[in-house]
Amino acid sequence: MGVIYIGDRSTGKTHLAMELANPNNEYVRVVSPDYEYLKSLLMSDDEQKTKATDARASVYEYYLDIQVKLPTGNKQVIVDWIDTPGEVWRKNWQTDNQDEWKRLLSTIRQSEGILLILPPHRGLNFRSNIDGEQFMSQQQWCTRFDRWVEFFRQDCPQARHIVLCLNKADLFCHLPEEAAKIAYHPNGSPMNWQQRHLYVLQRYFRPIQPQLAQINQSTSGLSVRCCITSIYNRSLLELPWIYLGSFLAK
Amino acid sequence: MGNIRIIGPRSSGKTTYLAALAYQPEISQQKQKKLRVQAINDDTKKLAEKAENIILEGASLEPSITQVNTIDDLAVYSFNIEFQKRFKKENLTLAVRDYPGEIFEELEHGSSNPLHQEFIEECLTRDVTGCLILLTEWKPGTDKSYSRVIKRFTELMDIHNRANDLRLAVVMGKCERGELWPGRLEPEMDLFAVHLPKTRTILRNKIPAKNLHFYAISTFGVLGHNNPRPNRIEEWGTDGRNSILREPDRWRPYGLISPLYWLSTGKEMAHDR
Repeated sequence: MGVIYIGDRSTGKTHLAMELANPNNEYVRVVSPDYEYLKSLLMSDDEQKTKATDARASVYEYYLDIQVKLPTGNKQVIVDWIDTPGEVWRKNWQTDNQDEWKRLLSTIRQSEGILLILPPHRGLNFRSNIDGEQFMSQQQWCTRFDRWVEFFRQDCPQARHIVLCLNKADLFCHLPEEAAKIAYHPNGSPMNWQQRHLYVLQRYFRPIQPQLAQINQSTSGLSVRCCITSIYNRSLLELPWIYLGSFLAK
Repeated sequence: MGNIRIIGPRSSGKTTYLAALAYQPEISQQKQKKLRVQAINDDTKKLAEKAENIILEGASLEPSITQVNTIDDLAVYSFNIEFQKRFKKENLTLAVRDYPGEIFEELEHGSSNPLHQEFIEECLTRDVTGCLILLTEWKPGTDKSYSRVIKRFTELMDIHNRANDLRLAVVMGKCERGELWPGRLEPEMDLFAVHLPKTRTILRNKIPAKNLHFYAISTFGVLGHNNPRPNRIEEWGTDGRNSILREPDRWRPYGLISPLYWLSTGKEMAHDR
């Protein structure tokens, strides 16, 4: 199975996937590779942030063996974690690197799950110590999302599972509070998948609701799911994977 | 062994129907004594797990077409159904395959897709005992469209020399809907004759009476005996195409086994409520 991480530059794609391997897990456990190995591979020398994914190669493939605890027990999910550098979503990169771009498109089209990682925008209620000026305005964010709508509609109408992750949720919400509401428990959660999605949609994805409807209308798989993610909250970090695992687990 | 095929439009709930059959949600103690369904092969056990991991968790199953590239990708679900009759037990083994909705829809205008033609060929081979045709709509124009599909299907039955020996169970699905629920007891008269008269007439004219039966089923059922609200809500973002289970604890399907039993044995089932 292929699950691909896509998203603009500096949205936290690599870090998000790497943290999944952190052994302090709840219901999603990366059996291999090892967290420390991934860290040595992906983190910068001072371990403050991940190395920028190099745009000279459009696709970075890692093989992840993941175990997800579902209501019917532990299930194995074999994942080709495909990480893409943010630069490849720029039009000029795509024009200058047409062969690479075609290869990437072909990989995405074969993927069973697509995780689109989105950055926060100024329309969110940032915590008091956060300077919102470092992020895009809500309008810029929505305009930029239009490009993703076009991408899904034109380039991957056959996508089976599209999960949108509004990342760095620690900057704009109280993580434990949100996690308590939408977290997953295999023996009975406070919310089911539809309720979780609606909850997140109403609170965090409202500005792009019409665009989400457009994606749903033009793709043949299941409807888009919205999540909030943060490397600082395990429950929220695992949710997209539990959702995908429910469908893709062997 | 009853070898059965299921066809129907996209999003008519074919796989969800089989998932409910495989999982067997809460059934009354009394019924449990009379009826036991066992998933036999791996495909069916996995489908039962999907019911638990996906349907019970408030999401819907994926459309089958996204998973199928060759005819061998289509799962064959096999069940053993044990009926406790007054003095004896009866066992029924079923092998059931559901086709992607595109196959049904393309029958209306013809298909040039060789894979889809292969599905139809397979559906009409001699070892198939019966075909369950799952319909769900009755909005204006649907009867016309369904009747064209059915006409084409009966022509194909003729071409494949199956016109006289293939049983057809014509089923109205999602009968938990308020407009349909009261008509579930006499589906031919109260559902098909009212909502899909042309489709029904073509079937009655083309198929020998002994090989044709009409049914009403509801995979999600209603909330209770005295609460006939559907135990189903629309899934967000699908314009009513997909549904999710409303209250998992009250999941009680209606009439799932009767059509399969008749298709397999040619006999009416005494009780499947």
